[in-house]
Amino acid sequence: MRRTLLRNVGIPLLSMVLLFALWQGIVVFFNVAPYVAPRPLQAIQAVTRDWSSLWPLVLATIRETVYGFACGTLLGLSLGVIMAKVPFLQRMVYPVLVLSQAVPIIALAAPLVLILGFGGTPIVVIVAWIVFFPVTVNVLDGLSHVDQDLVNLARVYGASKWRTFIQIEIPATTTSLFSGLKIGATYAVTGAIIGELVASNGLSLAIYQEHADSNFNTAAVYGTTMLMTAIGISWFLLVVGTEVLVTPWQRRSVARRPLFHRRAAVVPPTSQH
Amino acid sequence: MKIHRLGAMAITGSLVLSSFTAFAGGGAASAASLKKVTYAYDFPGPDFELIPVVVAQARGFFKAAGLNVNVVFPPNTSTTTKMLATGNANIGFLTTTDMAVAINAGAPMLSVANFSMRNNWALFAKPGTSLSAKNLKATLKGKRIFSYGDTWTEAMLPFVLKYAGLTSSQVKIVTDPTGNDLVALLGGRVDFSTSTTNYEIPGFEGSKTKGHLSQLLGTAAGAPNIPIWVYAVTRSYAKANGATAKAFLSAVKKATVWAAQNPTKAATAFDKAYPKSGYTNAYNLSGWKLTIPFLTNSAGQYFTQSDAQWTTLAKALKSIKLIKSVPAASTYYTNKYLP
Repeated sequence: MRRTLLRNVGIPLLSMVLLFALWQGIVVFFNVAPYVAPRPLQAIQAVTRDWSSLWPLVLATIRETVYGFACGTLLGLSLGVIMAKVPFLQRMVYPVLVLSQAVPIIALAAPLVLILGFGGTPIVVIVAWIVFFPVTVNVLDGLSHVDQDLVNLARVYGASKWRTFIQIEIPATTTSLFSGLKIGATYAVTGAIIGELVASNGLSLAIYQEHADSNFNTAAVYGTTMLMTAIGISWFLLVVGTEVLVTPWQRRSVARRPLFHRRAAVVPPTSQH
Repeated sequence: MKIHRLGAMAITGSLVLSSFTAFAGGGAASAASLKKVTYAYDFPGPDFELIPVVVAQARGFFKAAGLNVNVVFPPNTSTTTKMLATGNANIGFLTTTDMAVAINAGAPMLSVANFSMRNNWALFAKPGTSLSAKNLKATLKGKRIFSYGDTWTEAMLPFVLKYAGLTSSQVKIVTDPTGNDLVALLGGRVDFSTSTTNYEIPGFEGSKTKGHLSQLLGTAAGAPNIPIWVYAVTRSYAKANGATAKAFLSAVKKATVWAAQNPTKAATAFDKAYPKSGYTNAYNLSGWKLTIPFLTNSAGQYFTQSDAQWTTLAKALKSIKLIKSVPAASTYYTNKYLP
């Protein structure tokens, strides 16, 4: 247990500490001016000093990410299932989906603002736009690789199409679905920041960073970048954690024991003489 | 502040390359004896405020001054100062507010000449909208005002709001560093845009919208009347290359005077130097013509800076907490290298 904790938490933490040490070392060794690149501590101080202003912006970015991620997941999941069930639709829609992702998101943002106006809606749409594609593709992939023997077995036992879908096909796609969600989670925060940069209706984390950059506050620029990265990593870890919880069969072949299970009374064997 | 065109930004890389190769082709034998100067513009792509440098190149003023000038473009509007501070450029084109915040952060910058002499930053509204200094409070209250988030707008807008008797929470400031204020304004996504007259009016003319853009100059509503753009170097560059700075300004002054007298030819020279700038000749010509009246002071002088302009700016920036203190005017500038 302790070894697992050390491997899963300790080593990544150590790599982060080393990264910060390397950053500090380079800045100190080359005597880099703080307005060019600050020391890690200066970046962290810039964030803590203005935390009361930053916290509502961080919450707004998280909110945009969550809403966009939820919309993108729902859309991606629905599209994946529909396309898997209707091959004609798959042939028709798939090229459009690929085309949608080939359009640079920054080029898409300007018309989105004109159509939807400034504010949260275009930001959520941008996040959803980024998230839905990997989800769709992975769900589609998962559904096309369901073990047909299992499906046939279910039918032999008289399961309806709906029951087969719910009990056989959906569980079989969870691995692919979570692969898509993890890719989506990685890009969702990037989408939210791009969205904030082009569609903010007032101050946002991206605009705060833009102002800091304009005002030569490089420490705040680095500090907000660290905050954005932390949001992205947290979101990714949340998806990974959810995957661990909802797909226990991926990690162990036997069911986990209930946390508080009643110990059965053990009757000592009677000795036979 | 400037017209933000994604297309123009996208081709910046090729423009940098083409400007470099075009210049490199102008006589390899003599280029070796010329002093190399890297000039950093304030925007990711070229536009008509680059005309003096373009003309100085095209008409051989730089060469005559013994200079080989290479123009580079920053990745965003905040980076020019950093390019100078890190030695990636020698002479730069900046806003005075960028200069002030850079010096406030400890960057050793020095303004060596004004580009423009007065403040032509303004509020704009759709044609037919009433926009005057008298009823500003009622006009602006609760309305959406577009900003690129640049330091100049950030510095000027509080003055206008204060003049109107409003606070920033009584209006909606929509910041979009990558957008286009005119598209947002004409598309009805904001009620007012903020820009300088020499950029906004040609952009509006290009949109073929009927009528005239309503405008209110910031100086008519509380904003200080001070220069917006300057030519700048680092103090160490000025110390080691004073003669080069002087030669550069001498060539640019000649070019500025010529371009002011020959706006049509100057705009054509710009189009020839940067055929893929993304701007039409009509836009460049109109923009340059609108810039010309701001290039000289009341005495008809080009480039000359004053204590008053820097002190006014520093006080203004301190009052809105963009800088911590008001240093002596000499911290910001020198007229020592003027031709």
